[in-house]
Amino acid sequence: MTRRTTLGIRACTWVWLFMMGLTLTTYLIGQFTLGGLGVSLTVLAFALIKGQMVGDYFMGLKRVRGFWRWPVSLWLFLPGGLIGAAFALVG
Amino acid sequence: MQAQSTIESNRFPPGDLAIWVFILAELAAFGAFFGAYAFTRMRNVEMFNQYQATLDSDAALINTFALITSSYFVVRAVAAIREDDSRGCVRWLLAAMGMGVLFLVVKGHEYAHHIEEGIRLSTNTFYMFYLSLTFFHFMHVIMGMVILAAVVVKANRGGYSDREHTGVETGASYWHMVDLVWLILFPLVYIMR
Repeated sequence: MTRRTTLGIRACTWVWLFMMGLTLTTYLIGQFTLGGLGVSLTVLAFALIKGQMVGDYFMGLKRVRGFWRWPVSLWLFLPGGLIGAAFALVG
Repeated sequence: MQAQSTIESNRFPPGDLAIWVFILAELAAFGAFFGAYAFTRMRNVEMFNQYQATLDSDAALINTFALITSSYFVVRAVAAIREDDSRGCVRWLLAAMGMGVLFLVVKGHEYAHHIEEGIRLSTNTFYMFYLSLTFFHFMHVIMGMVILAAVVVKANRGGYSDREHTGVETGASYWHMVDLVWLILFPLVYIMR
């Protein structure tokens, strides 16, 4: 296995573990029935971070330049912004 | 030639460009669905919070772990075929599909429980969104499994190599999209209140 592949796999392994950790944290927040705007936006932020990591590392978009670098990030930003705004407007 | 190939691979995402157009269309549909859920919830906050509490968040946790892990396994499959390791590629893809099966079983169990309780699309607005959103995603998981199965069959016959593995990357990209959508769906429907 080439060094580049090994490094790529190592990075993705850390990303996978990090995403599992964020998921567990999100679940525990739900278990403690924590609510409110701050908590909801924090949970949403966790989801957007995980989404960006899937795009960057798993889909491999981190290495892409130009137009195709951005659609997944834009997609996360738009629905993420809408969801955040809808929850913020309720308070 | 090698340099040209490298530049080209950096300008475009992995896999067939057509799948990326399809992925963007799918993401747009799910994005609109998510926005509709969030803004409908604004007018029915108490009802959404009340019925969200009836959902099985343990099952959702297992399913999120399953999809994240399957996506990671697919990454390993792509890495294997880039090293011309067809057997490794097949093994990682089968492992990813195993996680996909786990997702379908757990989600199917959730649906069976809802049906037993008499919950339907028409029960209320929350369940209408919950059932249609998750079932739309459920169908995408099945579609992703079919795509991965096709890739496994071809990889098993030695149809991919370190030089030509666009099909593996194409299937992988679709599967990551399925994972990506669930990562937003999970907190939105099960956790945020």
